[in-house]
Amino acid sequence: MAPTSTTSLPVLQPEPATPTPPEYGRRQFLADVMRLSGGALVFIAGGTVADALAAVAEKPRGEAYSWDEHLYAYLIDTSKCIGCGSCVRACAAENKVPDGFYRTWIERYVIGMEQTHVDSPNGGKDGFGPVQVGFTATKSFFVPKMCNHCRATPCVQVCPVGASYRTKDGVVMVDAERCIGCAYCVQACPFGSRFISPVTHTAEKCTWCYHRVTKGLKPACVEVCPTGTRQFGDLKREDDPVRLAIARDRVEVLQGHLLTEPQCYYLHLDKEVR
Amino acid sequence: MEHARHVFRVALVLGAVVAAVMVTRGFLVPKSYGMYGPYRYDNVVEQMNVRLPLHRGAAACGECHDDQAKKRAAGGHKNVSCEICHGPLGLHVKEDGSVEAPPVDRSYLLCARCHRKIDGRPARFPQVVLEQHVSGPLEGHACLGCHDPHSPKP
Repeated sequence: MAPTSTTSLPVLQPEPATPTPPEYGRRQFLADVMRLSGGALVFIAGGTVADALAAVAEKPRGEAYSWDEHLYAYLIDTSKCIGCGSCVRACAAENKVPDGFYRTWIERYVIGMEQTHVDSPNGGKDGFGPVQVGFTATKSFFVPKMCNHCRATPCVQVCPVGASYRTKDGVVMVDAERCIGCAYCVQACPFGSRFISPVTHTAEKCTWCYHRVTKGLKPACVEVCPTGTRQFGDLKREDDPVRLAIARDRVEVLQGHLLTEPQCYYLHLDKEVR
Repeated sequence: MEHARHVFRVALVLGAVVAAVMVTRGFLVPKSYGMYGPYRYDNVVEQMNVRLPLHRGAAACGECHDDQAKKRAAGGHKNVSCEICHGPLGLHVKEDGSVEAPPVDRSYLLCARCHRKIDGRPARFPQVVLEQHVSGPLEGHACLGCHDPHSPKP
């Protein structure tokens, strides 16, 4: 009779005794972290939502201004500009623009059949003097330029820190507190409207004088323009002259092929103007 | 069960990391960021109140300088803002009420900015060829000797 081997395989090692957990081990620590962080999450989420709600509730914040009721646009009639430079000086004074930098400027185009000469001495700030060109000029005119406050703006798209944005009333602005001065937006703007301020070392640009237009005033450049070249309007007002001009006249924008949807419209723009 | 515990530990650590990120983010992201888009809404309000408007328009100038304002409004310079030649009102009458003399430029250069005949100006705008308009050197002549800038006659 074969001995029945009932013995199971020898136990090579004894069943390991469950080690007594240390007083405060990794597991305990992680569990505590989990609980703590969960609590913090609820705390922070709750706080943020409450803040946001409170902020929405007091939205106008001291101003009797609602940005839902406005959508701004700008109209420049180049056939009226006399190149006096009042707008450039007014802009510099109103917005404390550093010397040698321009939120708006004027270009002079002197054009012949074969050649074109463009100049903008000191951005047109001191006006223009006589000009000598080496060809027979057949036409000449001034073109005021500034930020076009594009709807599909490339400058906002490239900002890595969310400092550049377009408001609901159609103004492109820079949050100087967030801006790190990387100048991507300066390169991205096809109109050269932005610069890095030597004072703040952040990006600066035309704001359509947001501190003025939200109080019902016109931007400084429009305020001082003696010929009516520059006009500022609100597309949400039915009888607005700028709105009517855009609706009925043959208006043009700068560099339309880039599809940035500029909100500065031009009347009587020449093909040579970029 | 033994293996499930390993997964649970990893999940724990991952959860802790996510929580830490959320906590840090809560401290770093400004309150009003993202209310209307990827920007800080507080900046819109800051931009509204960045400073008091400096340019106030001819009507505001007329509150004190009634005679000049009436004269200007009746003449050929009725569309020329006082602040073009005299600078912003906000620099003349300061926020604290103090008054500083505004710039008064009497040189021919001020007039020449608009009225000198140069390339670029629309033909219908009144312009003078300075060299033909005055005899002798330009610096010696002030336009104001003959023309009143507040109510100019051609």
